[in-house]
Amino acid sequence: MKMRVEKMKKSIVFCVAVAMMFLLAGTVFAAEAIKIGHTVSLTGGASMWGQSEANALDMLVEKLNAEGGILGSPIVIVRYDNRNDAIESVNVARRLAGDKVIAVIGPAQSGNSIATAPVLERAEIPMIVTTATNPYVTVDQKTEKVRPYAFRPCFIDPFQGTVAARFAVDRLSAKKAAILYDVGSDYGQWLSKYFEDAFVARGGEVVAKEAFRSEELDYRAQLGKIKELAPDVFFIPTSQKEAALAARQARDLGITAVLLGTDNWGSPDLIDLGGDSVDGAYFVNLADLDDPDIQSFVAEYREAFGAEPVLPNPIMAQDALIMIVEAAKAADSVEGPKLAEALANLKDVKVTSGVLTVDPTDHNPLNKPAVIQKVDVAKKAFVFVEKYQGE
Amino acid sequence: MFLQTLVTGLSIGGIYSLMAVGYSLIFSILSFSNFAHGAVIMLGAYMGLALATQLHWGLGLVVSGSVVGAGLLSVFNERVAYSVLRRRRAPSLFLMISAMGCSVFLENMVYATIGSRFYAFPEFFKRKVVDVWGSSLSLLDLFAFTVSIGAIFALHLFITRTKTGIAIRAGVNDMTMCSLMGVNTDRLISIVFFLAGAFAGVAGVFLGIKYFVYPTMGWVTNKAYIAAVIGGLGSLPGALVGGLILGVLETLVSTYLSSVLRDVFSFTMLIALLIWLPNGLMGRDTEEKV
Amino acid sequence: MDYEINVVMLACINMIAVLGLAVFTGFTGLFSLGHAAFVGIGAYASGVLTYHWNVPFFFALPAGMAAAGLSSLVIGIPTLRAKLRSDYFAIAILGFGEALRVCLENLSITNGARGLSVNEFSGPGWILGTLALSLLATRNFLKSRFGTLFVAIREDPIAAEMAGIDLFKMRLLSLVVSATLCGASGALLAHRLAFIQPVMFTLTQSTQLLASVIAGGIGSVSGPVIVAFVFTALPEMLRSLNMWRLPAYGLLLVLIMIYRPQGLLGYRELSDLFRGRAR
Repeated sequence: MKMRVEKMKKSIVFCVAVAMMFLLAGTVFAAEAIKIGHTVSLTGGASMWGQSEANALDMLVEKLNAEGGILGSPIVIVRYDNRNDAIESVNVARRLAGDKVIAVIGPAQSGNSIATAPVLERAEIPMIVTTATNPYVTVDQKTEKVRPYAFRPCFIDPFQGTVAARFAVDRLSAKKAAILYDVGSDYGQWLSKYFEDAFVARGGEVVAKEAFRSEELDYRAQLGKIKELAPDVFFIPTSQKEAALAARQARDLGITAVLLGTDNWGSPDLIDLGGDSVDGAYFVNLADLDDPDIQSFVAEYREAFGAEPVLPNPIMAQDALIMIVEAAKAADSVEGPKLAEALANLKDVKVTSGVLTVDPTDHNPLNKPAVIQKVDVAKKAFVFVEKYQGE
Repeated sequence: MFLQTLVTGLSIGGIYSLMAVGYSLIFSILSFSNFAHGAVIMLGAYMGLALATQLHWGLGLVVSGSVVGAGLLSVFNERVAYSVLRRRRAPSLFLMISAMGCSVFLENMVYATIGSRFYAFPEFFKRKVVDVWGSSLSLLDLFAFTVSIGAIFALHLFITRTKTGIAIRAGVNDMTMCSLMGVNTDRLISIVFFLAGAFAGVAGVFLGIKYFVYPTMGWVTNKAYIAAVIGGLGSLPGALVGGLILGVLETLVSTYLSSVLRDVFSFTMLIALLIWLPNGLMGRDTEEKV
Repeated sequence: MDYEINVVMLACINMIAVLGLAVFTGFTGLFSLGHAAFVGIGAYASGVLTYHWNVPFFFALPAGMAAAGLSSLVIGIPTLRAKLRSDYFAIAILGFGEALRVCLENLSITNGARGLSVNEFSGPGWILGTLALSLLATRNFLKSRFGTLFVAIREDPIAAEMAGIDLFKMRLLSLVVSATLCGASGALLAHRLAFIQPVMFTLTQSTQLLASVIAGGIGSVSGPVIVAFVFTALPEMLRSLNMWRLPAYGLLLVLIMIYRPQGLLGYRELSDLFRGRAR
């Protein structure tokens, strides 16, 4: 018994010593580096994109530090897992504020971003979300005023919905459309609305707008109704899992409409999950693996991690980091208010996805293109179809 | 349109029934709701998936493998989490909390170790659609429905005709008396849990083929539990009927009223039924052991 | 410091909700899988008031509590009157929670699934004050005649009924008290995070509340409240072990049922321990 106590004492002393060493190492290191926060889902449903996002950022930080970092100081990423959960995202935001980061990259989801925004605004830390496409991430919904510290490198949902509708009318000559969305997801709820508005404005008719609940797996009741109405296109603004299920069940029921999706489809396992049913489907995406602009990034990523990047998050995260670096250069400062002002006035910055200009009135990127991709099951790839310039 | 709705409803209901049987079987002998059943179904699906993708077994072998695996898991689950409570004659609330704990544990262990990725089974069936009086029915659904009904019927025969089955039914009536008469109750209970697990294995593989395999796929078993309650917990024919009724009614509601309100409808129906017919359509009168 | 304070505040908010569930589960022997719904009602009722009509938080907080309390009657009256088995009751209240979420996701006043960005009102003063008041009120309530009746019902419902206690009324009363406390927790949560979304109030949250009550000890108030604090604060401190939090909760429930069904304190209060009056 006594032996055991002795042993325990020893191991406690050891643990404390190790912890102290880490703490010391942390403070010494932090004294000279510039800290940038990263709030990302490393566990939970969105972890696949989150991991890839983290990889891409680490890769870029290494490169930037070799070139001198920000204003001569090396960059350190302070990363916390927000588990794709709003409460956790707020915790992470407060923790990052306490860590005195100069800016925050992420979150990737609109709900978590809207929860994070007020915390960072109060701390006067600019945040650049990666793929949160909801318009009210950068603009306060109630006051309709721009949030001074919220920015993004990605396009917004009304644009995405419009692009999908334009493509359906112009290229697919669709007259009748059906929509199936997840009622528990703000993403799907609003994208279906934006698509509907744009499709109707272009002379189309939305014959069916059906919804399901987040954990449901069987959509055949809704699909049966859609089949009767014989739409030309079938718009499914969901993530790849629901899209693949809906596609399989739709084909089983004999629905022949062209399937049309949104940027959440762009996951490599869409083809594994959907099989033949998703062949020939089109979807809007933020970036394309074959886009000539990002070829060097894709090659670099492949070499570093031996895997394909899970688009679009890694690209958007890199864009966000480059925006911060460029804004710090322009402002010649890393203080929150000055950095935010410089971010709002960024012009023609060369980022990973192309060239980016921020609109100072709503903090969304100007002229951000959207790509249409076609699912090719035989090639196991998403084939580039068309690029739409921002309006 | 109506016929298509009915066909779809029946095929969804068939899957509910297959899952509901597990709840009913265990309830019939231990009088508690085994909320861990959903997690066993999920693990059965993962086992089937591993056999199909790693060892490239055919459908028959995959189903049998998953039946045995999930059956053993279910027995193990009982030994670890319930048997002590059972011997102590703990109130059924404690058994239920323990079952909840198992379900939370298993589901999140899969999350933490295998991850939240979705997996699809290899295609055992050519995607083929048969035409039934003008409405389409996929071959897989037809097959799953037949197997479900067949398995439930076989179980019914086993329980009513064989010696072990009769012992189980005797156990349902009076566990103490049964053990006094020299029936080995531990063995009996293990058999019941094995059977429930076996059904979970079949259900898991079918769910996996029809939809996907992922950690929270057990969520759909809440619906199966409702089906078991509608039919009357503890009654096998009840589980079958309850599943089919729930499947058809849900599909009718989504088609003719609103797909969004479908869950409000299912749960309201559940509450109403519990109040007016607390023992379900075919359940027997049970007093809760407190 | 802000971050540490925030974690403690969230833990305190969670303690109020667990206190609510402890009153219900611990003192009536009924098991609820839907108490997150009452937290949600409190959050949304108060949030809608402050967001759309700029109602001061001073009024919005009690309004959230009242809304949660009243809504518990909707599910409580039919199910408790019918004297459902405990597992039936658990699933019925789970259904209530799910149905509520469908409504929150579809109403325009709640802004649907996108969620509401309310203002941040509940500072540490509000939270600690409400927690202290709730603890005091619960303690007095359980020491009153009602408390004795609750224990009688939990120990032997049949005997209690024969002794002339109206089982239905007492159970309903405890449900309303418990929902009101959960409502307070929700209102504070909404105005602490400054953002609410329907997905924040799901079965997972209900399960976590229940795990705290069971681990803390059925029939105790201080036990669950202490455990609630530990359950919220600990995973924040051990962030790297976060993935294992939920499996650990599950395992804990099973182990408690097997080895220590009375939980941490079980039928005792912290104060009893200090007085050395072990049962």
